[in-house]
Amino acid sequence: MALPPNVSEEVFASALSEFAQAVGDEWVFSSDEDVALYRDSYSIYWDEPEERVASAAVAPANVEEVQQIVRVANRYGIPIYPISTGRNLTYGGAAPTLSGSVVVDLKRMNRVLEVDEDRHFALVEPGVSYFDLYNYIQERGLNVMLDVPDPGWGSPIGNSLDHGVGYTMSPYRDHFGSHCGMEFVTAEGEVVRTGNGAMPGSESWQDYRYGVGPMIDGLLAQSNFGIVTKMGFWLMPMPETFLTGTVTVPRYGDFDALVKEVSYLEDSFLTGMPSFGSPAARGGIGRQAPTQLAELMQDGWPSVERLEDFVSAQGRPAWSVELRFYGPEEVVRASWEAAKRRFGDRVAGASFEDGDFWRLPLPADELATNPRKAVLGVPALEIFATMARNPQTNEAPLEGHADLFAFLPRKAEAVHDAARMMSETYSEFGTPPAHHPFSTPINFYSRAFIVAAIVPTWRDAAKNAQSRALYSRLIDRCAENGWIVYRTNPAFQDQLVSKLSFNNNALLRFEEKLKDGIDPKGIISPGRYGIWPASMRSGRA
Amino acid sequence: MRVTIVMAALAVLATAAFAQDSPSADNGKVVFDKWCTPCHGAVAPPEMPFGGDGLPGTSALGVKYRGELPAVLEERTDLAPEFIETVVRGGLFGMPITRKTEVSESELEDVIAYLTRNNN
Repeated sequence: MALPPNVSEEVFASALSEFAQAVGDEWVFSSDEDVALYRDSYSIYWDEPEERVASAAVAPANVEEVQQIVRVANRYGIPIYPISTGRNLTYGGAAPTLSGSVVVDLKRMNRVLEVDEDRHFALVEPGVSYFDLYNYIQERGLNVMLDVPDPGWGSPIGNSLDHGVGYTMSPYRDHFGSHCGMEFVTAEGEVVRTGNGAMPGSESWQDYRYGVGPMIDGLLAQSNFGIVTKMGFWLMPMPETFLTGTVTVPRYGDFDALVKEVSYLEDSFLTGMPSFGSPAARGGIGRQAPTQLAELMQDGWPSVERLEDFVSAQGRPAWSVELRFYGPEEVVRASWEAAKRRFGDRVAGASFEDGDFWRLPLPADELATNPRKAVLGVPALEIFATMARNPQTNEAPLEGHADLFAFLPRKAEAVHDAARMMSETYSEFGTPPAHHPFSTPINFYSRAFIVAAIVPTWRDAAKNAQSRALYSRLIDRCAENGWIVYRTNPAFQDQLVSKLSFNNNALLRFEEKLKDGIDPKGIISPGRYGIWPASMRSGRA
Repeated sequence: MRVTIVMAALAVLATAAFAQDSPSADNGKVVFDKWCTPCHGAVAPPEMPFGGDGLPGTSALGVKYRGELPAVLEERTDLAPEFIETVVRGGLFGMPITRKTEVSESELEDVIAYLTRNNN
């Protein structure tokens, strides 16, 4: 059995016994077999000494039990690591940042406390998954739409606390940004409510999030200042219809104008999440057979002139963007017409194609075979088909992946620069590059572009060593360019946080002061996103 | 008369004990529908851009077995209980570990009962 750092077997046994008194014997997991269920299935250190593993797990059923667990942990100096549904795969899963921590598994706290279809919000506990919340809404026929990540097996609380993102209209795609009110348990075992929840009897906890005074909610995300036990989320009223339309522009150099116009529409709330593509580069170069595009890149990154010639030779437009409209039919059709007019005025040769038009909500039988569940706010796991064995790749599937999303300014030049950096870095490590001059950004977060790298992970130490080296170099290169990697696996959190070094790491030093004051023994999630307790800080970069 | 009552009581107790201890394939289907169908179901969207259908598990098994075995787990008649438990608890390729707070031991037994109900 693994032990928490600097804790004897006897002390640990006493702590486990008190955890059991708090939650019941059945909900303390300490056998090797049970603790193994808290490994990170996609660990980039699988079976190596550096793999982050728990010493035990404890699963409370309510806030009072969370308070008792925290108090026991504080008394015995046991590091604890809360998880909500434990499905934060690629970013650590259910495994703790610090090996030997006791995982506080909040999955049993799985109540949907409220969904209001007139004021459009939900209040949930951490163990509620997007599937659970979706089913709750469907069973009651409530007139609201979720915004879900893809895959949708995680929880609104866990996803938002790691700054997860979705697919519909911009205010809802930022899941932490769309939360309203939270409850958390401090390292001392006190229950705190933020916003209007701090006022006894207030009926507007999920309507007004600032309350009075500092808004401290942000301290609970990507951090270790408390255990969140409830959160409210604003929801979009169920739109009457959904309509898509695709804009194409002919030349490589048109991407700049396309980006600027899409940003105008997004920031005016005239479109949902845009989806960029490149008809000229159809097929990409990833794991598929070599294409003309791969040949184009054989001699290094091509000049703009060569890229324009390539586009002409393909006979297809250089770029496309699908716009997605939500709302009454008159409005979505008018929005699409306005978008066409604006693109037509600004990009010579722009052309337009009508897409889907659906009345919402779609019936369940139609949804089951609809491949676009995420943009309709319907949780699914279908995205995993990209990494599973599939007819197109027909090769051994990945065993896991470590995702790296670089957040860039919404500029064409930044997208091209990021794609080039990633392509060259992959090549440097002997890995076939997936990025190319026609790589397109993802707009999960409406005010920034994402260029993504999906680095494979394995249950093979040698292959993981290669993946780690690549991932680590990508973090360095992103920072050299001023691009934030918005979220990462515990294995890279210290490195990533070290890049936010303005004024001699003033931000991290401020967070450490908070940690020392709020959680002086450092029992909650030591090391999460680089915030270590004072006793473990020495010697770290 | 008294003997009859005692016998009847014992029969009720035996039935209750059996109902409590014996895995339920019916409940296994409920658990399967919640936890497994998003990847291993039978009803899939049409072909996705990357080539498979939208259900990663069903699609992958279709490629793996090429028609020699059903791609849909619920149609299999050869799944060993130990194999089901190993995959659920240990994960396989992109399928992650499933914890006991998600699918309890008794629920896993029910899923096994459901997936092996037609075994040869």
